[in-house]
Amino acid sequence: MITYYLAVQMCFIRMGRPQMYRKSRLQHANIYWLFMLFSPHMSYVFGKNKVHSQVTGFCHLINHMLVMSLPFQDTQLSGMRRDLRLALLLLLSAALESNSMSPPGKPVLLGCRSPEKETFTCWWEPGPDGGLPTTHRLYYERERLEGIHECPDYQSAGKNSCFFDKNHTSIWVDYFLTVVAFNDLGNATSDPLKMDVMEIVKPDPPENVTLLVKDIEDSPHLHVGWQRPQNTDTESGWVTIKYKLRVKQENNKKWKEYMSGTQTHFSLYSVSPGVEYSVQVRCRLDHGFWSEWSNTSHVKIPDYLQDKRPFGILVSTLCVITFIATMCILVMKRKYLKKCFLPPVPGPKITGVDFTLLKSGPTEDAINSLNQNFPLMVAWKDQMEDYLIVTENDIGLEPHPFISQKRKNRSMFSSSGFCFHSEIQSQDSRLSLNEQEKAGKRNHEIQQFVKSNKSLSGTSLSNIEQTQQCSHKQQGTIINFGITEATQQSRSHHDNTVKPLTDSGYVDIRRHEENTEEVDVKTLQYSRVKEMNSDNTLILEKENVSRPGYMDVQRQENTEGYSRVKEVEGDSMIIVQKQILSSDTYYKETGNNSIDCDLQMPRGLTGFSKVGVCAELDSGYVDTIPVTHLM
Amino acid sequence: MANRKNKAGKLFMSGSTLLYMAAVCSAVPVGDLLDRASQGSDTLHSLSTILSHELQDSHFPPIGRVIMPRPSMCHTSSLQTPNDKEQALQVSESDLLSLARSLLKAWKDPLVVLSNSANDLPHPAHNSISNKIQQLQEHSKSLGDGLDILSGKMGPGAQSISFLPYRGGNDIGQDKITKLTNFHFLLSCFRRDSHKIDSFLKVLRCRAANMC
Repeated sequence: MITYYLAVQMCFIRMGRPQMYRKSRLQHANIYWLFMLFSPHMSYVFGKNKVHSQVTGFCHLINHMLVMSLPFQDTQLSGMRRDLRLALLLLLSAALESNSMSPPGKPVLLGCRSPEKETFTCWWEPGPDGGLPTTHRLYYERERLEGIHECPDYQSAGKNSCFFDKNHTSIWVDYFLTVVAFNDLGNATSDPLKMDVMEIVKPDPPENVTLLVKDIEDSPHLHVGWQRPQNTDTESGWVTIKYKLRVKQENNKKWKEYMSGTQTHFSLYSVSPGVEYSVQVRCRLDHGFWSEWSNTSHVKIPDYLQDKRPFGILVSTLCVITFIATMCILVMKRKYLKKCFLPPVPGPKITGVDFTLLKSGPTEDAINSLNQNFPLMVAWKDQMEDYLIVTENDIGLEPHPFISQKRKNRSMFSSSGFCFHSEIQSQDSRLSLNEQEKAGKRNHEIQQFVKSNKSLSGTSLSNIEQTQQCSHKQQGTIINFGITEATQQSRSHHDNTVKPLTDSGYVDIRRHEENTEEVDVKTLQYSRVKEMNSDNTLILEKENVSRPGYMDVQRQENTEGYSRVKEVEGDSMIIVQKQILSSDTYYKETGNNSIDCDLQMPRGLTGFSKVGVCAELDSGYVDTIPVTHLM
Repeated sequence: MANRKNKAGKLFMSGSTLLYMAAVCSAVPVGDLLDRASQGSDTLHSLSTILSHELQDSHFPPIGRVIMPRPSMCHTSSLQTPNDKEQALQVSESDLLSLARSLLKAWKDPLVVLSNSANDLPHPAHNSISNKIQQLQEHSKSLGDGLDILSGKMGPGAQSISFLPYRGGNDIGQDKITKLTNFHFLLSCFRRDSHKIDSFLKVLRCRAANMC
């Protein structure tokens, strides 16, 4: 640079000959001066050394002034002065030139790193070299080591680095490092760096990252495997490596990280077929720094599930079709299914009987039909003696077919009346099962009543006795049942008051059975009431031949209407009483014909409540006034 | 007579129970105990590293490291420990364990000092720091107990402990900078020693398991 200036100066000096006119010289000088002024600035702008440029510029200014003051005269003296100034110029230029060389700038220690806790490397940044070749040297002091030592190896780790091998590396001791830059003009020392090997541990990234797509039980998973960095010594336990990997899908920008601990493999289960995955792994020793990420490995999960899909679709389609077909069939055949699975509840039905006929009341046809339905009974007529057990609780039922039959004189009862016989009972059981059951319940009640009933008296008893003994001879005697305190069954008491009855009626007579035969409902005996007298007594009539020996009180209505016989007076008088023995008893008020009733206190009768018996004579029923106080 | 029989019976029972218990306890392999101990030391070192970083981040760069006292003045530096891998692998197992135990025991008192001064530390994160110091104390205590049990199984050499007293006193300084500097220095000493303990135990673990 400086030689250029000298050359330019020489040119201008030579040009500035005295022969030239002053004006042209001035012009040249001006050009020269301008050039000299700006050139240092340009070098300042583009150059590196600011100070150097400024000094150069100043020197050039002085130079120019000296040149300008040169007299342009052709004299001897001026020639001498010219040479002197020339020499001066040269000297100045030389001085300018020598200013660009300098001692080196201060280097900077960047840091150190140990990849396996056995060696370490340090790097520095050199400063400006000052134009001269500079060398850098690293010196260190170490705890528990005397003296200052120089870096053992400048080469292995590259430029501007220092490698400490195993022999020179100690852990858990402090190193104080400095780098010094040297050149011909001087040196520069960096700031010291204090470090301990345990703080600078950063391993190399893991090696040989392999990706395998494994297919276990139709679910794909990605198996990532790698190896530890070669230089780490895990076998002796000097270092403990922990790994971390990150996975990214090809379209996604986000990485997902997973910790792997000390294992050198990892299985990733959340992979989708047909997607490409990128995987990277890194590691660290103890609690040092993480290494750099390994090179990216890519893998694409194959789309092998597709051939299984049609099968699945086929199966599901078949199922849907089957289901729809089943539903259609069910809907079409719903009536049939309804009949099959929800059969209608059969109503009550007796074969041969049409209930609609009976609903309108007992009619000739109905009874006839009923009779036709009981052929068995017709056959039995001559052989056995059937009986009917009717108790209060049967009140409310439809007229028993038997009763109807009796009314129509189609009775199937034998003339001997009711006979309790075990055989008959069994035969009869079919027909009178209802009554039996009900009677069984009220056996207790009957017994009670029977017990409290006093002995029946009168020849009627004998009549009943007869019936009991299944004799077939009956008289149409009117039986009076006398109930006395004495529990003797005096059976010779008769009362002859008779009240004609238009109709036949049945009286339920409860008797106390002295003998040890079963005392149950079957011992009930019936007598036909002939008439009712004003004494509120029932007069039982003697049975005619066709129906000897039984008395029955017919029910006109389909209502309760039974009454108990309170007392039997004489041959043909029965005092009906109010029954207050059990809660089952109930009374029905006829309502239509109420007759003033005199409360009759039959003689000898104690213990029974009064009863006002009002009889409806025409009907033949013995209905009692509804009791005001029922039990 | 019956009384004596009863007593003898009871004695026999208790004796046999103790023997059984001892047999069961000694059945725990040393490898498992070492594994457990190395996990504890790993936690200890990890905590101390986090703590140092937490302390350094906001406060220390302007001060620079050169001003700090040289850590050769750590109160445990008088203990001769291996300084590289070769040396460490040559030390016997019982000696390694003894070193670890000595170091750990030496920090029992200084941790108390650290804990006390952490509360008043002129640092923005002093609560978190104080919390971590307490955790350090707990882990240190449990690790010490574990190592005591281990030492019983590893021979007489493991039983000896070097005495390394802390002579720094309770006071870590008066002004803010001194306090912070001394606190940081103590913590760095502890970090180094915890790393030593961790490394020794991990070497022992691999040696006991014969595979790593």
